[in-house]
Amino acid sequence: MEMTEKIEETARELGARVRPQIEEAKRRASALNDSAIGYIKENPGKCLVGAIAVGFLIGKLASRRG
Amino acid sequence: METRPDSPPNGRAPSGDGTKKLGKRIEKVGHTAEQVWDRTRDSFSEMGDALDIKGRVHRHPYGTVAAAIGIGYVLGGGLFTPLTGGIVRLGLRIGLRLAVLPLLKQEVAELVEGLEDEDVTTGKRQGARRTRTRGDEP
Repeated sequence: MEMTEKIEETARELGARVRPQIEEAKRRASALNDSAIGYIKENPGKCLVGAIAVGFLIGKLASRRG
Repeated sequence: METRPDSPPNGRAPSGDGTKKLGKRIEKVGHTAEQVWDRTRDSFSEMGDALDIKGRVHRHPYGTVAAAIGIGYVLGGGLFTPLTGGIVRLGLRIGLRLAVLPLLKQEVAELVEGLEDEDVTTGKRQGARRTRTRGDEP
């Protein structure tokens, strides 16, 4: 019984310590996602040309290795 | 020596009529180039309207970028490579798992239900037999 109580207490403490960090990480990821979507919507041409260039490079590298 | 005003001096380009012709030709070429430029611009804008690139980017920003990467990948010659094979295999595996797992779960759940029903009915039969045999005993 003591052992399980100890484990539960440790888990609770760990959760309380880690939860704010997880929340902060979630908030940051959401902000990053919003800014990325905003940038893509503001500069569609740039993003599409860049994406095609990136895909082209990956394709070139893959064909060289293959 | 007499010089005639209508004939050009030696080694020089003909002035007057020839210059006019050249000018006309240059004008014509310029006009044609302008027309070609206008047509190209129109066709590009028409193509843009037909594809609705801006609208697509607004609706699905990540999807459009992913599609552009895919187009670049194909243009770069990466289509028939081991990397494509690996990506396709991975996608198929994930897709099959996602499609087959719910079906398997359903089948197993039905099987378990069927077994439970069978157990209940056989248990009832056995119980009835026991009571009958006890009733027959003196």
